[in-house]
Amino acid sequence: MPRIFIDGQPFDASLEHTVMQVADANGIYIPRLCWHPKLSIAGNCRLCVVQVEGRSWVEISCNMPVSENLRVQTDTELVRAHRKAILQFLTLNHPVDCGICDKAGECTLQDYHVAYNGEASVSREPKVEITKFYSLSSRITLDNERCVLCTRCVRFTHEVSKSHALGVQDRGDYSVIRPSQGPGASPLEHDAYSDNIIDLCPVGALLSKDFLYKDRVWYLKATPSVCPGCERGCNIDVWHRKPEWALRSLDARHNTAIARVTPRDNPAVNGPWVCNKARDLAQILERPRAHAPMARGREVPFDEALVQARALIAKARRPVALVSSWGSNEELQAFKVAFGERFACFVKADHQPADGEVVADELLIRADKNPNGHTARALFGSAPVAFAPDTDLVLVWGEGADFAALPRGVPVIFLNAYLAPENGHADVFFPISVMTEQRGHFSNFEGVTSAFERCFAKPPGVLDAQGLFEALGVYTAREAVTP
Amino acid sequence: MTPNRDARILMTFPVTATSHLLAEARARGQYSALDKALKTMTPAEIGKEVTASGLQGRGGAAFSAGRKWSVIQLDDGQTHFLCANADEGEPGTFKDRWILENSPHQLIESMLIAAYALQVRHAFVYMRGEFSGPYRRLQAALDEAYDAGLVGENILGTGFSCDIIIYRGAGSYVCGEASALITSIEGKRGYPRNRPPRLTVKGLYQKPTVINNVETLSNIAWIVNNGSAAFKAIGSPKAPGTRLISISGHVAKPGVYEIEIGYPWKRLIYEDAGGMLGGAALKCVIPGGISTKVLTAAEVETLNLDPTEVEPAGSSMGSGGMIAIAEGTCMVRLLQVMLRFYHHESCGQCTPCREGMGWLHRIIDRIVMGMGRVEDLDQMIHISKLQDGNTICGMGDAAGYAVIGILAKYRHEFEHWITTGRSLCEGKLECLASS
Amino acid sequence: MSNALFTSLVGEFDRLRARFPAGFDSSLTLPCLRRIQEERGYVAEEDIDALTAYLGVPRIQVEEVLSFYTQFRREPVGRFHLEVCRNVSCSMRGAERLIRHLHDKLGVAIGGTTADGRFTLKTCECLGSCGTAPVMVVNDEYHENMSPEKADELLGRLG
Repeated sequence: MPRIFIDGQPFDASLEHTVMQVADANGIYIPRLCWHPKLSIAGNCRLCVVQVEGRSWVEISCNMPVSENLRVQTDTELVRAHRKAILQFLTLNHPVDCGICDKAGECTLQDYHVAYNGEASVSREPKVEITKFYSLSSRITLDNERCVLCTRCVRFTHEVSKSHALGVQDRGDYSVIRPSQGPGASPLEHDAYSDNIIDLCPVGALLSKDFLYKDRVWYLKATPSVCPGCERGCNIDVWHRKPEWALRSLDARHNTAIARVTPRDNPAVNGPWVCNKARDLAQILERPRAHAPMARGREVPFDEALVQARALIAKARRPVALVSSWGSNEELQAFKVAFGERFACFVKADHQPADGEVVADELLIRADKNPNGHTARALFGSAPVAFAPDTDLVLVWGEGADFAALPRGVPVIFLNAYLAPENGHADVFFPISVMTEQRGHFSNFEGVTSAFERCFAKPPGVLDAQGLFEALGVYTAREAVTP
Repeated sequence: MTPNRDARILMTFPVTATSHLLAEARARGQYSALDKALKTMTPAEIGKEVTASGLQGRGGAAFSAGRKWSVIQLDDGQTHFLCANADEGEPGTFKDRWILENSPHQLIESMLIAAYALQVRHAFVYMRGEFSGPYRRLQAALDEAYDAGLVGENILGTGFSCDIIIYRGAGSYVCGEASALITSIEGKRGYPRNRPPRLTVKGLYQKPTVINNVETLSNIAWIVNNGSAAFKAIGSPKAPGTRLISISGHVAKPGVYEIEIGYPWKRLIYEDAGGMLGGAALKCVIPGGISTKVLTAAEVETLNLDPTEVEPAGSSMGSGGMIAIAEGTCMVRLLQVMLRFYHHESCGQCTPCREGMGWLHRIIDRIVMGMGRVEDLDQMIHISKLQDGNTICGMGDAAGYAVIGILAKYRHEFEHWITTGRSLCEGKLECLASS
Repeated sequence: MSNALFTSLVGEFDRLRARFPAGFDSSLTLPCLRRIQEERGYVAEEDIDALTAYLGVPRIQVEEVLSFYTQFRREPVGRFHLEVCRNVSCSMRGAERLIRHLHDKLGVAIGGTTADGRFTLKTCECLGSCGTAPVMVVNDEYHENMSPEKADELLGRLG
């Protein structure tokens, strides 16, 4: 275990690591654009320089091996002068688009300019103009003028997603990132992990078309959450308007919308990546919602629905429950307490892979498109849904049940967040909240548990399923079997 | 140093229509060194001889060939590769071409000996794509050598096998840089690589690889035949041997001349190369490719062509691509041509070169257009200094040397153009006295 | 979709592959592209598809290589592809006059092709022949010690 010195402080290091990695591990920050912990070393930005004590020149630290008694300084005058110079080179042709660039507020180049350079350009030459708004795919737009050619995006498509979708065309300061142009759609279109390059990009060159011009990041809050798209349970940040920045002038939905979704690094689950389905969670979570309890399609007040449901439960002798695999650990536990003894409980897959959706791959995507089947099956078993001939009540929690396959003439209590025709067919219907309106936990297919926090208040009239189970379950134990 | 300073290692025969063919090469003794090496020496012994000879690289970097070779671990069980660098892209340089066209068997024999010394089974010649003529000559020579059992399986019945493959480039100056050359052979864009790892540790397809310039390698056969001591007796103590100098520009007899290191510079220009066109006065000389700093006539005429003299004078013998410039040539336009070249050839991988080359080119174009500013000159020097040592490969340093060298000696020409909007020398690049 | 030209070269590519060590398929990119261009005059989209499939490399690698190296082209050129060096030694021996002369004589911009499709005129960088400057390349062959008069005579012969 060699010992190296950074800024005079000793650190134990491993021979497999570079000086930059040792610095990162010990809270010493060295600026960098092209280096990323999950990608190969490119060493092209030249920003991460350090000065080895005794040498009169600087060297990049991302590719500097560790050796016994190596002594480096990260903040000498020479290092500072060099960083400033590199930033001048980078901003030589970089368009000062900050006022209209989505990346403003979370842009590495902006942050570094303020931290390490902060001066106006010394160049008198007109900036090189190249393509702005190059469509890389239906999801991503590329601005070549802003691009600093760190090649993180290229390396990602070769080393991580393996779509080999991106490369560098031409040479010198006319180099441009370009997608492969084979027959048919761009391979980036078929890359289920394409949007990770948006996070990787240290500047505003790669932008999400969906998020383009929607909001400024400093008005947004990132709430930790878990993607429900499959049983991997990738950790994510759900971005939404900060309450203090709520816009009164616009549609209230703007204040309660998901602005975007980004990965949250969890080495035990997904690392720093998510698949594109996570990015599109708004499409799943923001479908039209059910707002009011109903009895056979007629809107009723909650108390009335509760009374009717309890009555149905009280007199049922052979009740069956179809359990949601989208329920949180807490909801599932509450369901078990409320109904586990009296009901024959079967876990259902609320969601199946959609047409054209990647079913499973070697990276993150799992075939089970439900976030919490693991906990549900742990509590309720894995038996396939089966209705005994004398089933006399079905409680359906969540989506995905085949109503046509339910025993005919048997009363149904249905709990669903979303607007659906089946809501009106149920004997009693309750609208429930979705995960972004709760806090809770999912456990993924490997049993790793991750937390999600509340982003929004639930809509008026909508109930938390957990509370509803407790309310309905109160009578299951106490009520006598005889009518 | 030999008494008459006229030792010859490479240009030892008059070039005729047939002198490059195998029969005549053999008559000159070619392949006797291969025989000696394979049958009487071990790889380690050859490596020792090369180191003892003091042979330095003739591609521009002048790195000790023996020291480079010594990093290769013999008997490490790994595949090793050898590449002859025949990219010859440094402007002003055309001396490797002489070997490829006129003495290909000297290169082939030397490569085989080097391959034996480095335990290489497959060796490559990376030749710039534009060299169609040299390619045909070298390929024909290889065909002859294969037919004669001198290359391929079981060479000369010794059990040593080696194949030599010519790999043609496709138009990129930066592929003359060793790590870019290797990446090009791998079938990709010619992007240089960061070190570590050194190429002799992880090179072509991550295997230990030695890259030597064509001329450097071509000395190996002679060293094996005559011994390292004989080699050291030629040239100068710290830089033994000869150099092929390709001289061009405003001289009457441009061409390739072999000189013993230490040869008087004046003699090369005024005797061998026939002096300046139409008797014009010599203004300055670019010693070894445009990436070396320019020296004035006064400096040049007092020096011998020996790195131990040229380097203290502030320049380098570089790639041996010498350009002699007559009085009346506009140094501003000359630098403009050079910067246009560097800008065109920058691979674009690293920030300082990618942005800096374009920046330098735009500034000098602006000066030539009559819109220069006094601050431009110091800014060009500033940019050059920022690039120096801070890029992935030596190209970043190279453009800087051209800028700093020319500005150091001819700043007044630039200042004149900036203040008056025109050249001191009518923007001329051709020599007045030329017909 | 068949690419007759590529198919006709496959035998040669197989033999080339056999000369390289094992695991060098990626290396075949440059030599194969050169051969294709020699036959077709440029590299077409279907050649990229065919080569990608034949070598098993990502398509983007072939595209990158085509755009990086100046000798490769993806568009046809005139029957005679002229490239005049304009680097230091050639400029010192009259390359700029030569280029201007050809530009005027042929009536095309640098990079352009004459209307009759015969000549494409381009400039290039150092060709490694500075001793015989100025130098011009015609269809990959060097023509050295050029001058406007010699260029006229050459073009006349090429007809």
